[in-house]
Amino acid sequence: MGELYLLVQIGGRRAAIPGARVQSVVEIDQIVPVPLAPRHVAGLAALRSRALTVIDTRAALGLDPALCDTEGRAAVVELDGHGYALLVDRVEDVAQADAVSDRCDATLGPAWDHVALGFVETPVGPAVLADIAALVAGQAPSRSRAA
Amino acid sequence: MDDLLAEFVAETREMLAAIEGELVAWEADPADRARLDAIFRFVHTVKGNCGFFDFPRLEQLSHAAETALAEVRAGRRQPGTHLVNAVLAVIDRIAELVAMIECGETLPVSGDERLIAALEPDSEGECLPDDAREVSGSERRVSSAPGSNRSIRLPVDLLDRLMSGISDMVLARNDLARRLREAGNQPAIDGPFERLSGILNDVREGVTRMRMQRIEHLYNALPRLVRDLSAELGKQVMIDLQGGDVELDREMIEIVRDPLTHILRNAIDHGIETPSQRLAAGKREIGLLTIVARQAGNKILLAISDDGRGLDLDRISAKAVSHGLGTSTQIDALSHDQKLALIFEPGLSTAEQVSGISGRGVGMDVVRANLEKVGGAIRVESEAGQGTLFVLELPLTLSIIAGLTVESGAQRYAIPRSYIEEIARGRSDAIAVEELGDTSFVTFRGRRVPAIALGRVLGAGEAPPLASGVFVFVRLANGDLFALVVDRVLDNEDLVVKPLAPPVMATGVYAGTTLLDDGNPILMLDIPGIAARHQLASTLGARRMEPVEQVRHEDRENDRVILFTDLAGRRRAIRLAAVARIQTIDIASLAHEGGQHRASIEGMILPVAGIDGDLPAHGKLTVLRLSDGMREILFAASAVDDSAELASGLVPLADDPLLEGTALVEGTVTAVIDAHRLFGRLADASGPALGKVCRLPSDDDWAQAFLAPMLRAAGYAIASSEDDTPADVVFALADGSVDPANPARVIRLRTTVEPEHPDDTSIYRYDRAALLAALDRAPGG
Repeated sequence: MGELYLLVQIGGRRAAIPGARVQSVVEIDQIVPVPLAPRHVAGLAALRSRALTVIDTRAALGLDPALCDTEGRAAVVELDGHGYALLVDRVEDVAQADAVSDRCDATLGPAWDHVALGFVETPVGPAVLADIAALVAGQAPSRSRAA
Repeated sequence: MDDLLAEFVAETREMLAAIEGELVAWEADPADRARLDAIFRFVHTVKGNCGFFDFPRLEQLSHAAETALAEVRAGRRQPGTHLVNAVLAVIDRIAELVAMIECGETLPVSGDERLIAALEPDSEGECLPDDAREVSGSERRVSSAPGSNRSIRLPVDLLDRLMSGISDMVLARNDLARRLREAGNQPAIDGPFERLSGILNDVREGVTRMRMQRIEHLYNALPRLVRDLSAELGKQVMIDLQGGDVELDREMIEIVRDPLTHILRNAIDHGIETPSQRLAAGKREIGLLTIVARQAGNKILLAISDDGRGLDLDRISAKAVSHGLGTSTQIDALSHDQKLALIFEPGLSTAEQVSGISGRGVGMDVVRANLEKVGGAIRVESEAGQGTLFVLELPLTLSIIAGLTVESGAQRYAIPRSYIEEIARGRSDAIAVEELGDTSFVTFRGRRVPAIALGRVLGAGEAPPLASGVFVFVRLANGDLFALVVDRVLDNEDLVVKPLAPPVMATGVYAGTTLLDDGNPILMLDIPGIAARHQLASTLGARRMEPVEQVRHEDRENDRVILFTDLAGRRRAIRLAAVARIQTIDIASLAHEGGQHRASIEGMILPVAGIDGDLPAHGKLTVLRLSDGMREILFAASAVDDSAELASGLVPLADDPLLEGTALVEGTVTAVIDAHRLFGRLADASGPALGKVCRLPSDDDWAQAFLAPMLRAAGYAIASSEDDTPADVVFALADGSVDPANPARVIRLRTTVEPEHPDDTSIYRYDRAALLAALDRAPGG
């Protein structure tokens, strides 16, 4: 309880990323595309002499990024020693969780189910607790395998 | 001081420091067995180690001390104060001698007799040579002070941390440089920043070198190993070592040494047939072992191939069944490659008889396990009757590699330079593109190799025709060649390669990422990965065909020229056969001395022709690297344009000796450089005259101090008068004698300027020109 979460909008929905995992929030201005990479890998971006892999979270959910506006900001996280920038529609706020539930009682739909770890109740309302590893892995692993 | 010797000195010093405490404790209690053992081990190790070098004094001293201590250990002698003092004196003397070796001083021939005599049991009661100990003690204090910090040993992980810190600094520097550029000219900041940047480059180079060693260190021992083994087994085997300049982590060299030796042993023992078997199979009598080292992104590839009988799949399968790895149906169902991979299973040795050479219970399973432990891998390819190829992949977790940046589809990529064989423009006459089936091939210099557009590799839809691009010929570790067609070749850059995230890695076409100076990330291509994905790499065989083809095309190449623009802006041509490759060098690596420009390149100093005026102080210079097979010369160019057929005859030119003549090339009058003259003129300034060995009297100080360095600089190898290396030239001093049995050419040197009598054929020893001329006349080896 009482932990900090970064609240973001992904595909027009509110999601929460554990604050302790977020190294910083950055503006992504230039992305070097990676041909042949899965669709949710937007490319590489440089941050303070580091190359980050930019994950378009909307594409990771199976949404079409072209249909979602973005202000070009991303949450920088680290997973297994690699740096990722999770590109979202909008970064809303950092909030303290009032309550965290680690299960979803109802399905959130095919797009959200595999990235949702549960809910976070925050002063601004509830948010889906997003699984960073699932976002990085992208949409349904079986489908990206086939590519 | 060579590496081995430095290592010996460092090790001895380290041991000396370690037993310092033991010595004091032993002095206090001579009966202490543990101390005694430690000291015994020390003298024993010194004795063993100095056997490699020619240090008779060290050997005698340590041997005497070892003998005395062995007596004590066996209980035949009681350690008294006298013996303790004598041993301590010997150890002090060893330290003193080691310090002298380290400083490169010549050791006096003798002086240890009293010390050694004092160790004898019957010398009890005799006065210990106190003076000896005193002197040596004080000398040691003096000489060891500066000497002791000449070399230290460090844990490798400390170097790792340092190295990764430096790499990050380089990236941060590049980032800062970009920001400074964006901010415009700021003299107050730019100057110090330039300096900082220069220092960082030096430091980076130093740190890199700290951990890296040329793979040559590993190669050095191999010819001997192959020679001994093949002699023992009655086989004739030649070894061809390539890529010795590839640098590998020191630790990795040690890790790969045993697997490599093991594979070589196996290849000679089981792979390569006896000369008669080979002849019967229609092969050359002499078996060929090839080892090629290549850097591939963040991996080092070591390919070891032989042209022997290949692995016997049936026997491997039968062995696998009898070892219970599967039923015979299961094993039979395996693919060719899977069956080959069975040799890496524990307990599978295909030899019918376990010989002394291979099959000592250390199998390929151990080799694989050892490689995998460090994150490496091994695979095997083999064809019956054709030979076997092992490819060892070694990781290079963090490295700075030389890369070529190219452009394809408006995006930049990097290709590790170690792969690149040659670059050619598609619009040149030398390039012919053919479509065979669905694959494109390019014929260049008489060879047809598969070609693929990088855009197509990367899944771009409609690619421009191949001929409009630039062909980058890349050679894989197994020797296969293919052409990657890019839109543009941009630059050579040193890249700090970082690993890619798994989702990107999964594409199979990228090996890593790096940040360019402008701060943008760039992807480095995984050349073997691309080759494998598009089946551009064949298996064995292809590479063995090459030499024959090359010979056949040699005469044709004579009439092809490379067109370029020289530094003065004139159009020039040079025969293609003389051009080894086209390279970009740093102007900073050039030096102008004695009227001749020289460049240091890949550890060699090569003369540079074609520079008349002044060069800018910084930047890059394009050079044609010319080779006559033995020596290399660089020719500066402002741009390399194309290659063309020399259709018309040459019109000789009288005024410029370095021009062969002028010719009509593609409708333009072009002067053709006379490569023959060029080599003739720059020959003595150019690199090693391969193979010639000079024998010098090793007991003559002048020969060693004056003559040897001059000869080495001229590219000759030096043999001493003791060793048996056949020499091409033997030097004799006026008063020295020469073994008449030696058929090599003898050059006599005299100390006077004028000959003493008219039929004196000797050469004045400082007459450099006459000396070099005499050497040149000697038959080459």
